[in-house]
Amino acid sequence: MCRGTASRAPYRSPEPNHKGVQTGMSDRALEGVKVLDLTHHIAGPWCTKLLADYGADVLKVERPEGDPARSMPPFYHDEVNQEKSLLFLYLNTCKRGITLNLKTLQGRRMLRELVKDADVLVENFSPRVMSSLDLDFDSLHEINPSLVMVSISNFGQTGPYRDYKAADIVEYAMGGLMYIFGAYDREPLKHALHQAQFKGGTDAASAALMALYHQRLTGQGQHVDVSIQEAVASGLRDVVNNFTYTGAVRRRQPNHSGDLTRLRATSDGYVLPNPGIGARDNWQAVVEFLGVPELDNEKFSNASARLVNAEELGRILDETFLTKNKSEMFFSAHEKRFIYGLVQSPEEVLADPQFQARGYFVNVEHPSTGPLKYPGPPFLLSGTPWGPASPAPLLGQDNQQVFGERLGYTNDELSRLRAIGVL
Amino acid sequence: MPESSADRSVNLLGPLAGVRIIEMGQLIAIPWAMKMLADMGAQVIRLESCQRLESYRSDSFYGNDTEGEFWNRGANFYEHNRNKLGITLDLTNPAGMQILKELISISDVFAENFTPRAIKNFHLEYEDVRSLNPGIVMVSSTGYGFTGPWANFGATGPATEGASGLSYMTGYADGPPELPEIPYTDYTAGEQTVFAVMTALMHRLRTGQGQFVDISQTQAASATVPEALLDFEANGRTEPRIGNSDPGMAPHGCYPCQGEDRWITIAVDSDERWRAFCGVVNKPDLAEDQRFKDSLNRWRNRAKLDELIGQITTQWEAHQLMNQLQAIGVAAGAVFDSKDLLFDPHLVERGFFDVVAHHPSTGMPPLPYVGRPWKMSLTPPVPAKPGPMMGEHNKLILSDLLGRNEADLATLEEEGVIGYAPASPRPVSRPSLDEQVRQGRMQRYETDYRKQVARVFPPPESL
Repeated sequence: MCRGTASRAPYRSPEPNHKGVQTGMSDRALEGVKVLDLTHHIAGPWCTKLLADYGADVLKVERPEGDPARSMPPFYHDEVNQEKSLLFLYLNTCKRGITLNLKTLQGRRMLRELVKDADVLVENFSPRVMSSLDLDFDSLHEINPSLVMVSISNFGQTGPYRDYKAADIVEYAMGGLMYIFGAYDREPLKHALHQAQFKGGTDAASAALMALYHQRLTGQGQHVDVSIQEAVASGLRDVVNNFTYTGAVRRRQPNHSGDLTRLRATSDGYVLPNPGIGARDNWQAVVEFLGVPELDNEKFSNASARLVNAEELGRILDETFLTKNKSEMFFSAHEKRFIYGLVQSPEEVLADPQFQARGYFVNVEHPSTGPLKYPGPPFLLSGTPWGPASPAPLLGQDNQQVFGERLGYTNDELSRLRAIGVL
Repeated sequence: MPESSADRSVNLLGPLAGVRIIEMGQLIAIPWAMKMLADMGAQVIRLESCQRLESYRSDSFYGNDTEGEFWNRGANFYEHNRNKLGITLDLTNPAGMQILKELISISDVFAENFTPRAIKNFHLEYEDVRSLNPGIVMVSSTGYGFTGPWANFGATGPATEGASGLSYMTGYADGPPELPEIPYTDYTAGEQTVFAVMTALMHRLRTGQGQFVDISQTQAASATVPEALLDFEANGRTEPRIGNSDPGMAPHGCYPCQGEDRWITIAVDSDERWRAFCGVVNKPDLAEDQRFKDSLNRWRNRAKLDELIGQITTQWEAHQLMNQLQAIGVAAGAVFDSKDLLFDPHLVERGFFDVVAHHPSTGMPPLPYVGRPWKMSLTPPVPAKPGPMMGEHNKLILSDLLGRNEADLATLEEEGVIGYAPASPRPVSRPSLDEQVRQGRMQRYETDYRKQVARVFPPPESL
């Protein structure tokens, strides 16, 4: 189980059992994996949250002033407070937290102590930072030869763009996703929020476990270089192969108003119609489902006719959908095995009966917010539980336990380290 | 029958060497995830059906050529199935199902992305699969999850993107929700599937226990929009769609450049960088303009600001402006089209693309494909091999892994349990490239693409 503050076990947990001995089913999948988390903002913390929520022991190391994500909106009840950023609170569940100033020699010395028995170290500084702190992979590998070090960055640790700056929108542009996103005759678009950061974080978590799998079998550590640009570029279906296969360059599609799978407005929102691959050839079924006799016409009964008469078809479809209710449409479509989709607002997602049946939203109680419903497990494992999510750490919450009990610093020493800005 | 090379049956390289995966996948969500694992050394055996042709074998082709064995020239098939072995099996025939069960019994992972209804009909639910192999990890990837009232609803990428909350938040400020031109959340779910499989494999390594991994593509996507969900939960608020704007930064957007449909993205996060930007584009008056003097004022006046910046950027070539802005630390990126991405000097230098040699019978030259977003210092990916031609590894898998003899194979082929081509290939029509450009589906096409590709990506040396 994810440990609450009061009952936290020492960071040095018992050696994991590699010999295939059965342990209890209440074990979480990544029990025994020790992660030293130097990450900040979104991509890195999402990576280590995935590991933590599925059972890894993650120790988050923050600069004394805290992870900059602590000041990212939105805030709980709009109170601007470093313990109330909702994004920070979500991204750091199930972790313990300490502060350490890595710009000081003493801070780095203490970090090296912690590196000694970590399985994985994750960082997402700009590529030059770790080596400027003498914390590059080679030096850490000397301290701990079985360490898996994962470095997440905008463009990777090598190459001409290594030091380029980015924001999510720049990753969308240079990852190739933006050019095919948006209206035909307008500027390209990106997704809302921080999708590229999440992609990079998920990929980093996968790569961390691949390297750790190898470490468990061989004892060997290694350095993993994760690029967010490449995280975007690796999932684009045919953007590249259109060119390599035919010389064609994809672009944002024109809005064929007669397209049967185009997003349409209903009386109360939007649906994503899809009569299914088989049903596309069965126009009669589509006409019956929509209940519009006007559509029962040779002008629309096959794909090429629909293309010729797209404008008229589009007008009829627009008018028809506007008279419908999106949920009724969605459910009655699925009765016919049409694979319609539904655009849900955040409010609707939170109330979604499918999510509720699967226990997706979970209550997390953080001292600064009280209980709050968070998005929970992205996937379910039948034999090993996710969470329950313990809250994100308060800034420096576990300094005493980690530096005092574990590394053996006295209270006097810790006060002094705080006073000189090391903690 | 195509030749099969024995060396494909073993993975001597990669961190996942020794892991065997049976994939009953279709399209993207599971195939993409299994490709990533295959790249890193897992032996992935992909099931296909001659009776029900995989859609990605019949949607777009090398040279746009629909003649002959088009199913062995499918762009999106090769895109998602690199480094896998392929076997064709008719699962409606008991002999075919028997072979699948034997494969499951000697594997570490069984991964599928059919609807729960189809899996139940095949009697391939986790309980069934576990009775064949108690330690197996079974992965089901579905639109809305394997359980719950929506479990049997089929889903497309746009449907799960819509259900997750992501589409609702996305779009131009004055418009409806927008989705990209690819099934985006299939990849979001695929990425999390790689992580899920590795999580289950780590647990299995420690304990010997397998388990059922239930992936809801919608949940996977909702997990990446927490700001919006928590803002409503905590504050009762839903932010409006804001296009490319950012709640904190201005300028932050996508601006036109020289040429047709060419653009640049720029994100300025401090006053210092704003002044640096004005310097690069040689507009000192803009740096002095009181409407834009600090971040708050730039944000308040961002509509005017975006308009002025758009007038400036149209004078520039996108890559040139990107490089000049980046040289002084301003986050800027040209909006890469297919060709920019493929020939990007940075990605090429990093070796992001895998050059894959195709089987001679396809008539296809070696081609570059997008690789993986990670590089491991000690365990590189296995040398890239193309996705299987239909039935390419039938013999290898049936004889080497399952001990069937020549006579068994002949019988299986005769009874249509295995095969090497679609049982009843329907003719495929594909619009000409001129027609695709005319319809606006493609920006352009270049007839010398073969030469351009071969120049930057010479064939692997071993060939």
